[in-house]
Amino acid sequence: MLQILLAISAVLFCFGLLATLTRRNAILVLIGIELMLGAGNLNFIAFWKFSANPEALTGVMFAIFSIAIAAAEAAVGLAIVIQVHRRLHSVDVNQATQLKG
Amino acid sequence: MNTLLFNLLTPELILADAALVVLIAGLIPFTSSHRGMILSLTLLGGLLSGAWILTHPANYSLFGGMVVLDPLTQLAKVAVLALSLIACVFAYGSTVKEHFAEYLALILFSTIGMMLLVGTEDLLMIFIGLELTSIPLYLLTGYLKKSSTSAEAALKYFMVGGVSAAFLLFGLSLIYGVTGVTSLRELAAITRTTGTDPLLLAGIVMALAGFGFKVAAVPFHLWAPDVYEGAPTSSAALIASGSKVAGFLILAKFLTFGLAKTSGSAAWDLMQAGWLPLLALIAAASVVIGNLAALSQRNVKRILAYSAIAQSGYMLLGLTAANANGVASVLFYVIVYAATTLGAFGVVAIVEQRRGGSDLDHFDGLHRTSPGLALCMGIFMISLAGIPPLAGFFGKFYLFSGALGSVASVHDGSFGLLWLLIVAIVFNAVSLYYYVIVLKHVFVAPADDAPAHDRACHCGVSAFVGLLALAVVALGLYPNALLNPIQNAIRSAVANPAKALVAQP
Repeated sequence: MLQILLAISAVLFCFGLLATLTRRNAILVLIGIELMLGAGNLNFIAFWKFSANPEALTGVMFAIFSIAIAAAEAAVGLAIVIQVHRRLHSVDVNQATQLKG
Repeated sequence: MNTLLFNLLTPELILADAALVVLIAGLIPFTSSHRGMILSLTLLGGLLSGAWILTHPANYSLFGGMVVLDPLTQLAKVAVLALSLIACVFAYGSTVKEHFAEYLALILFSTIGMMLLVGTEDLLMIFIGLELTSIPLYLLTGYLKKSSTSAEAALKYFMVGGVSAAFLLFGLSLIYGVTGVTSLRELAAITRTTGTDPLLLAGIVMALAGFGFKVAAVPFHLWAPDVYEGAPTSSAALIASGSKVAGFLILAKFLTFGLAKTSGSAAWDLMQAGWLPLLALIAAASVVIGNLAALSQRNVKRILAYSAIAQSGYMLLGLTAANANGVASVLFYVIVYAATTLGAFGVVAIVEQRRGGSDLDHFDGLHRTSPGLALCMGIFMISLAGIPPLAGFFGKFYLFSGALGSVASVHDGSFGLLWLLIVAIVFNAVSLYYYVIVLKHVFVAPADDAPAHDRACHCGVSAFVGLLALAVVALGLYPNALLNPIQNAIRSAVANPAKALVAQP
């Protein structure tokens, strides 16, 4: 069971990474980041469920905190995307090329 | 409620209160137009918090190491607090004119994140601290509402930061899965007996991606030049100084205290799987790419960004020593570096206000118009280049000798890390070129006759720039003034772990 959960989370993480690397729309990149964070949380829950002493609640606590942080990060990310849209009239990541990095 | 819990977190709580007071002050019509009043409220909160830390030496930990208050964390907390407060002063003289109270409150929130980050020995708090530091920094980067470069910089910073946070979380989950613990000290005890597990190594590598972003090491450095250039100068100064000190200290604790037994070896003739070969590779790549890319830059902020990448490489090199001495030299250097680069950003902030930009040409003839600032810029650049007798030289000296010494002691005099040191020293010579180019514009190029945009005195910013320059010179002449407290603090953290307290309900 643990193996299945870990495989799911690994696939989820790869899909998220693929989305952040290939998608040009900033919103979809954000969704990709959320997928990756979700994969990490799934890992924590899975490892906690099948750990030697599940009474310790360490993994669950980690997951709960990181869900809250992911929510805050998504809110800030959306605010930044809105600001970019106001300035550049687009949420295409490729349009953001004024600074050459 | 347990009063002790409050005692351990009082500095952070004072800062949180100060941030809320500043936010409210920004809403009151009378005070919101008085930027000086808002700044003094912020500084008052910060000074109270710092005074509390300095007057309450402690050696306690709570919740199995989630909150630790020992000499080492207190020293680091005071350092990040001082750097953040100076960044607040720079904000007063920078381009941030609208919503000034909210800006300072965000700096304070980010500082709370840094203080929690340096004051912990637990993976969960490391993740929370990194995010608490980063999320306000994303907003501070995009704070100039009218500027499209600021928005673009924030977008890039956020995207790289988000992906690396996800990598960090996934890596930490693997470490937790293999060992079943999240406390660094328990982690050290478990890895001592189990040895190196492939899944554990995968977790460490992914976690390093997250830390690599925070300290702007190659290949996670791409955000740095754009963010330094696009963000308001005071935000860039905070990102380059306070957040870097916190990032390096926690990376050092994570690797050296938590995972010392999985280090492997990066010696040229004796590579072994572990985090050391990877760290050595990242360090070498940062030094090479940072220094080479800086050569072709025309904007001083971008030069500082690439120099920051290269300096991260030197500090990672110090971490390859993988012992308490290495941590001490890294902490010494990162504090010196943060003070130096913060001062340089202060000079950039003033020049930007007076002449409307931060290209090299805007620095032409600075020694004629403001000789004091030019002198300070000279001190900062020479210290960054690592020329004696300034603090940057001694910092680099300790870093390099620490890395060399540790390996020599491991296997009798083979100097396995010599290849890395040679790369670092050769490219340190390269770095002299772009630091001197800045000085050429400051001291040699004739002054342009364009009228100054702004003839204000910027006394507060200038005063702190001067103070930082003085500190850089003083630490060059008496490096022991900072090095001894750091070494003592680390020795006490290793030999005399913080006493665990059980919180009473």
